[in-house]
This record gives sequence, C-alpha cells and structure tokens, in this order.
Amino acid sequence: MTTAVISGFGAVSAFGVGSAQLFDGLASARSAVGQIRSFDASHFPTRVAGEVDVAAIERHWIMPHLGIINTDTRVLDEFESIGAWRDRKIVFGLLAAMEAWRNARCGIAEQAAGLVMALGLEQAFLEDFAPFFNDKGIDWQAEQAVRSTGFRYRSDVDLAAQLISRLLDLTGPTIVNASACAAGGLAIAQAASLIERGTASIILCGGADSMVNPLGIGGMTRLGAPSPRCELDACRPFDSRRDGLVIGEGAAMFVVESEQRALQRGVKPLARVLGYGSSQDAYRVTAPRPDGAAARTAMQCALKRAQLDGSAVDYINAHGTGTPLNDVAEARAIRELFGAHADRLPVSSIKGAIGHLMAASGAIELAACVMSLQQNLLPGTAHHQQKDPHCAINVIGEQPREEKVDVILSNSFGFGGQNVSVILGRYQ
Amino acid sequence: MMHQRHEVYVQGAAAISAFGVDWRGLGAAVTTNSLALSPARQLADSHGSVIASEVAAIPLAIDVDARACKLMSYPARLNAVALRQVLHDTGWENGRDEIAFYLGVGASGGSVAELTEMLRASIDEQIFSLERFGTAGLAACNPLFAFQLMNNFTLCHGAILHGIGGPNSAFYSRGNGTVAALSEAMHLVASGECERVLAGGADSALHPVTWAQLCREGFVDEGFIPGEGAGLLALSRESDKALAELSQCEFHSTAKLRSGAATLVSDIIQNFKPTVDDLVLLSAWGVPSRERLLQACKVSGVNNVIDVAACLGDALAAAPALAWVAALDLLVAGKAPRVLVLNAGIDGGLGCIVLRSVA
Repeated sequence: MTTAVISGFGAVSAFGVGSAQLFDGLASARSAVGQIRSFDASHFPTRVAGEVDVAAIERHWIMPHLGIINTDTRVLDEFESIGAWRDRKIVFGLLAAMEAWRNARCGIAEQAAGLVMALGLEQAFLEDFAPFFNDKGIDWQAEQAVRSTGFRYRSDVDLAAQLISRLLDLTGPTIVNASACAAGGLAIAQAASLIERGTASIILCGGADSMVNPLGIGGMTRLGAPSPRCELDACRPFDSRRDGLVIGEGAAMFVVESEQRALQRGVKPLARVLGYGSSQDAYRVTAPRPDGAAARTAMQCALKRAQLDGSAVDYINAHGTGTPLNDVAEARAIRELFGAHADRLPVSSIKGAIGHLMAASGAIELAACVMSLQQNLLPGTAHHQQKDPHCAINVIGEQPREEKVDVILSNSFGFGGQNVSVILGRYQ
Repeated sequence: MMHQRHEVYVQGAAAISAFGVDWRGLGAAVTTNSLALSPARQLADSHGSVIASEVAAIPLAIDVDARACKLMSYPARLNAVALRQVLHDTGWENGRDEIAFYLGVGASGGSVAELTEMLRASIDEQIFSLERFGTAGLAACNPLFAFQLMNNFTLCHGAILHGIGGPNSAFYSRGNGTVAALSEAMHLVASGECERVLAGGADSALHPVTWAQLCREGFVDEGFIPGEGAGLLALSRESDKALAELSQCEFHSTAKLRSGAATLVSDIIQNFKPTVDDLVLLSAWGVPSRERLLQACKVSGVNNVIDVAACLGDALAAAPALAWVAALDLLVAGKAPRVLVLNAGIDGGLGCIVLRSVA
C-alpha cells in the first residue's frame, strides 16, 4: 500500500502567524490566551480567547504574511470585494495553506493536488440584520430591496477552500469537512486515505476556524462550554479544578502526499501518517459518552490501521478541552485501551495555551505533533497543576518535556459525538 | 477522482421529499415529470407566496419527538426521519454502533423565531449593540440554540437518536460534497473496512436566510425552484436481498470544469455507454447548470434523460441523494437496467454515479 507522508505544513494560532511561532510558544510554555480584542466583549459572560493578534483583518495585514509574489492578485481582489476578510477563518486558512505549500516546496507540478479542508460553520454577522429590523421582526421585503454583492448575515462555509483552490490554481477536487471539532483530524485522515488507495498522489489538507466573534463566543457560552472564569488560565485540561474550555482561532494546513512522490521531487518527508480511525458516540446531544467507549474505538481503529500495538505509542496529544466531562471520558478511554502502558504514556493538551480551535483543533494539534517528531519536544499542558484522580493518565504538566518519540496519537472528539484519532510516525 | 470498484450493493433507501416519506414511487414521480409544487409554508411569513417543492407534514408516527425537535435545524429533522426510514427499510436493527454514516450537509439553519428574539433584545433603533447582545440577546434564545446552527448536527442528531456509532463525516455540500460522502461510503464498503454504511444528503432551500441569499445572488431570477429533503442509501457488500449495485461514484473538480465541462460530461456519458434501455437522471443546482447538463446529454445523443430537479426543485445538499434514490426506485421497478445520475453543484462541480440492476 502507498504510504502517506506529510511533506510540509503551516500554522496560524494565537502565538502568531507561522509554524515557528506555534513551536516557540509551546516550547517556552507560554499561554497565548488573553482578553478578546477583535470585538468588544466587555459585556459578554466570556471575555477571553486564544485569539490571533489582529483586530480587523485588512489586505495590508494579509500580504506580508502571504509570502508569495507571483500570484495573480485578482482572486484576492474578488474575495475582498465580497467582504471575505470579515470571516477571520478564511484568512487564517489561506495563510496556513501558503506556508504549507512553500514549506513542502510545491509549485506548478503540484497543482493537480486536491484540497481537503476542515471548516467551521459560517460566521454570523448579526449587525447586518439591524437595518431591516423593526417592531415586527426582520423586514424581509425591505432587505430584498437592498441589493449587495457581499456577505449579508453570514459567510459561506467553504469560502476558504474556494479561495485557496483558486489562488493556487489547484485542479484536484475540493472536499470540505464540516464535522465540527473532529473535522481537522478527519480531513487529514481522508487525505491520507485518498493517497493510500491511489486516488490522489498529493493533497493540501487541514483546517481553519474562528468562533471568536459575537455569536460564536455567545453561542458557546449559552451551551455552558467555556470556563465561566474570564481568567487567562481559564482552560486547565485534566486539572481537578477545570471548569470549561477557552475558544481559540487559527488554522493548520499540510501537504500530504505519497512517499514516493515526495522523494522523487527531492523533498524529505516530515512524518508518516500511520493510521486513523473515527467513531460516533451516539449518546447525547449535550455530553460525551462518560465511559469513553466510542473514543476508545476511534483510537483502536487507528492502531489497527497502523498495525501497531498500543505499547508502540510514545505520546498522546489529547483532545483535552478542559471541560469536566470530556477530560474524564478521554482519560478513561486512554486508560482502558492502553492499560498499564498508560502509567508511562505521556499525554498533553495544548488547548490551555492556544484555546480550542474547533474545526481546526485537530489540524493545529497534528501540527504540534509533527513538531514533536521534528524537535524531540513534547508540549506541556498549560495551567495543569492539580492532578485529577478521575483522570488517571500520565499528564505532562505545564513545562514541555524533551523526549524523542517515534509514534504519536492525536485525538479529536467533537460536539455531536464525532470522534477521530490520527497516528503519526517519525520519518526515518 | 475515481475509485477502484469492488461490488457494493444498495440494501435499502429513504427519501423525504415533497412527494412524501416513502422512497418507493419517487422514481415514478420524477419520470412522469409531475411537479410537487406549492406555496412554501416556511417562507410564507417572511417572503409571501414562494412556489416551492416542500416536504409536507411529517406523519407523527415517524417524526422526531417535540423535545428533540427543539434542538434541531429542519434539515437535521429531515435527516433523522430519513435515517429512521432507511433503518426500517434495511432491517438493520442490530450492531448499529458499527454502521458508518457519511452525509452531505448544507448551510446552518437555526430557528428564525429564536433568532428574532435574540435580535429583538440586541437591536435598538436599528442599531445592533454588542452590549445589549451580551447582556440580554444571548439570554433571549434557547441555551441550546447552537445545536441548531452547527452544520455537523444535521448528521449527529440522527446518529444519536438511532445509535449509529461507526466511522462518520459530515461534508459541506454545494452538490459535490454529497457525492464525496457517497464516495467515502463506497470506499469503506469496497475495501472491507465497514460492513454497512449509510450515505446521502439533507438540506433545505426554504430557510428565510438561505432563500434571501439565493434571491440576492440571482438564482431566483434565473428560475431557481427551492426544494428540500433528505435522501439516504444503505450500502453493504452483501448481495442477498440487494436492490441494486452501486458500480461507480466520481466527483470532479471545479477547476477542470471551468474550462471543459461539456467535454467532461461527454466523456462520462461515453464511458457509461448508454443503451436504449438505460436512463440518465440529472440533478443540477440552478437553471444554468441544468441547461448545461441537458445540452451535454443532447450532444452525446442520450435521449432517456430525466431532469429530477425540474420535479423536486433544488434541494441543495440533498439534491444528489434524492436523485440517487429516484434512480434506485426506477431500477427496482424494472424501468431500466442501469441508471447514470449526474449532478452539478452551484460551484460547477460535477458528480456522477452509476446504479445497476441486480434483478
């Protein structure tokens, strides 16, 4: 079977634009969670987030980060004309994709690539309703009379994928995974699957999301998902005092291709995609399965595909949201699947440092895993200080750990019960 | 993008559409070109009389209970009902935690009543206030409103209600995402990774925000007829009691189509090698796409063409799946030995599947 490898990646996170910024932040055990600045959240119950440091995105902010000079900017002009930068994830996805494309040394010969992208739901622009809102509610007749070419009320889910595909002039198919917090992992898993079965030889894949906007933050707050404390240490994965997540934003994109193709074009792969598996809790709308059974199934399927025994896994990058129910269910799943090996198996979550990137969380966490393989450094778990006896796993504390590992498993367990586990291996 | 084919069989189906909640008969309905159009109930308050292909009231016996409904978008509800129907159709009662589920989903579509209450508490003198939204607007809506908005819940609500626990993904679809869902499902069965897989799409063009967008973007002026529904196919490697064989599932990039849509359609039809008994069903998003597909069929000399969207309207992410189920019904009824279903999305993406009779 063809082996799928990662030959380049890019990242945008609260640590900054670029994978180096992500690595530096994680390596220095910093937390990038801070007060929300991109809109006035002072009257919101949740006022902290893992936010990319840009208030309102404009073209002059994008261009220096884009890092390409030969691109026909008419595509950017077109997207700007419809107000695309209002939806932050579109820009984050674009910047991460361009970094991945550059780092993998892709060019014209790679334009047959497909695009598999995890994207969150449309960004809502509630302020757009205001001019058409009266005592009776939304005046749809009035709004019909006002024509415009840009977004109104919401963006389109797949705009980031459209923009990337068109800017790079990709001729392969575009697939948009909309599986919430599991989407990023699922996108990379699907890309690897398409490579393995010979359907494609190179795919640009990953995820982008931002829910750092009024309805995103507000809607999640109504669900009770974020920590009620608006402190910088609001997200404390696997800590006995944990009380909720912190919303983050950003993107991570990867070039996944067949090992043969990468070597033929002189690119040394960064990691192998060894296995992946998905499952569905099929339990409740509002909570994960407390026994972690479906999460365990996802990990088991990934191990089976990788043809590995659990003891071969050297490190787990956990979903680790910092919510009371999720962390204990994930810990239980790890403990039951890995048995005594779980006593030694290091586990960490980077969500305390950069927040929960929702549809992009699996992607950014896999980017962190690639760095671990490259730099022999396992990220710490920001704000994890007090062990929870109900989370009986070997959680790495706040400081990162220098350790050479060969096999890493990354979990993503989404709202709605969608689970995915992806296993990466060191490229020797 | 084309997959290696092994035998993949269709064991059952479901279709919730303007023609009702029983998939059997959907093929006959589209063959007779009988339009199931009426003024849309869902748009009456917002947009007056809009002629649409709308799902009639869902019978209580198969509908989702009222409590669960409050958490769902309408497409999620349609999918949950379709899921119930397909599980009944296949008799897949046991081992549901291993059944895989791949679904094309559309834009988010929460309750307009909830949205209105949120806005009422947040807007003063036609000015949206973040302060009012943060202090009162959020509290004015159902705390679980987000579960109506999240696109993946179109899949998840049904999976939770019916205990479908296998591998799964929700694909955002402007047409091709639904074909991508079927393509993944087909691969899982063909490769032996899963014994049983469900795939399809669910969506509605009758949400006021969606309809307003379709109007603004000019689709309505072009003759777009809004539709809605959910369609599912149940796939397995078991040939016993199979209704049909799914022998092909492809989807093609928009980039290729920009320069050569007609050529690509022509190639697909030539590869299909239609006989006089075979049928071609079209499911296109929007009138220009439909006309392009019709023209390509005409140029290729195909006569047995049925335009599903002309009967069912444009059901967005559900449209390809409803066409597949109509094709299945025609096969089962002995109307053709093979059916090619072509769909074209709003972005120009092209999908094609081939179903063949096992009779």
